[in-house]
Amino acid sequence: MTTAKPLPVPDERSAGYWEAAARGELALPRCAACKHFTMPPTMVCPACGTTTPRFTYEVVDGAGTICSWTVVRDAFLPGFQDDLPYMLVDVELDAERGIRMIGRLVDGSAAMLRIGDRVAVTFDTIADGLAVPSFVLTSA
Amino acid sequence: MNARNRFAARNRVAIAGYAQSPIVRHADRPLGAIAVDVARAAIADAGLRVDDVDGFTTGALLPTAGGQAAVDGVSVVTSNWLAEALGVNPRFCSGFQGYGQIPGSVGLAVNAIASGAADVVVLHRALHNPPRGRYHANPMTHASGYAQWTAPQGFWGPLSMIALPYNEYLQRYGATRESMAHVVAEARANGARIPWSYWYQRPLTIDEYLDARLISDPVCMYDCDIPVDGVAAFVFTTAERARALPHPPVYVAGFAQGHPMRHRLPQHWPLDDIMDVGRETSERLWAHSGLSVRDIDVPQLYDGFSPLVWFWLEALGFCPTGEAHAFVEDGGISVERGGLPVLSGGGALGNGRMHGVPQMLECYLQLSRRAGDRQLASASTGLACHSSPHFGGAVVYTAEPL
Repeated sequence: MTTAKPLPVPDERSAGYWEAAARGELALPRCAACKHFTMPPTMVCPACGTTTPRFTYEVVDGAGTICSWTVVRDAFLPGFQDDLPYMLVDVELDAERGIRMIGRLVDGSAAMLRIGDRVAVTFDTIADGLAVPSFVLTSA
Repeated sequence: MNARNRFAARNRVAIAGYAQSPIVRHADRPLGAIAVDVARAAIADAGLRVDDVDGFTTGALLPTAGGQAAVDGVSVVTSNWLAEALGVNPRFCSGFQGYGQIPGSVGLAVNAIASGAADVVVLHRALHNPPRGRYHANPMTHASGYAQWTAPQGFWGPLSMIALPYNEYLQRYGATRESMAHVVAEARANGARIPWSYWYQRPLTIDEYLDARLISDPVCMYDCDIPVDGVAAFVFTTAERARALPHPPVYVAGFAQGHPMRHRLPQHWPLDDIMDVGRETSERLWAHSGLSVRDIDVPQLYDGFSPLVWFWLEALGFCPTGEAHAFVEDGGISVERGGLPVLSGGGALGNGRMHGVPQMLECYLQLSRRAGDRQLASASTGLACHSSPHFGGAVVYTAEPL
């Protein structure tokens, strides 16, 4: 039997993110006061400082640019042993400058990657109603 | 240089003595018992008695991602625990909560003495290697809170954390692992000369480094300091009192800390985040201490992960941004080739995971001229870093009041 990967536990602040992910969409929290995106959502908006950011989740197209990557060869969490080695990419999203996410790169190899390569978001369904964002290359 | 930012307590507080346990993979005694012995030895080394101590400080973090419990006296040792075990009811007892535990707790000790809150402060650091399982392996089945943003996609622990900015540096500046091999070999060559080091008499060759197993590319096992059990303690007091004690005092000229300025995912350290805050930290350090990078004889850079040596070299101004890798390859940090002795104390890579202690200890030993056959000829000023430039800090020490 395959060991399960850690399941994300949505909470009051993150529920909108995981609901969108389950639909195959990337939704980012946007502050009601200053309209800036923030990842991850937090109790004080890092952009404007409001303590009542009332984040709303807005669907973005999930395209972005690779800033760095690593090839993971040792599993530190349950469920990843059979995936080794796997690649993680550090991606700046087009949605807003400076907003970066880290996810699996599900295609390509480290040898062919360059900083600035373009990616699109995709989703890996890991349980009923739970999908985790990852990335695929869109540039040649 | 802005005199308004000059450290008002400069020259007023000094280190008077120290002690350190052997650095081993797993001690055969409880961490708290070792800490008590080391604290007593440090107090005696300073020419003082336990009754003279009225202050304690530390940074007691257990630095693993494995979810192990922090049990006081067992896997961590807080100042309160140590004071109680020594039978002291201190006037001042504190713990630094952030990263860069050594510069952070040095700041607390110095401020306490300079303000008169305490006369003699024991600063200790106790590091523990949990007995079973892998250090950073975490058995979580559910990722809640901050972990939900990284664990489900397999981003976990400090190895991938440092791998991303390390690779970002390699790609941006055309650097290579061959260059990093010189950092690690230098730390291990110096650590191999230090009898208390876990790596005593065990240097590492460039080829051994390059053949090592990769864990999270480009990070290989030798880029990481090895988890250990070990305790160190330093005794701080007023400069005036220190001058009457047996060993030459080592004065604190200033310190600075960095804090991340951009909101990120847990353990997400983009290279620009590290360097932007690092340069600010550096500017504050030089303004605070009244010294410049060219004034430092014994610069001890933090190397818990090897890329941090490059980052500190550039953040502090020892070489221009993007050039640390070439600086290192050209012998810039090689003691043998007459470079800066930034790893002369072996660092964390050459001693074991003592979290900023090797850097502080080397400054103390060199500036008090207690380094024995490792004594550097020129050792009037020192600098000891800890953690990353954007999360940690640095302290400037001098052998004479400025």
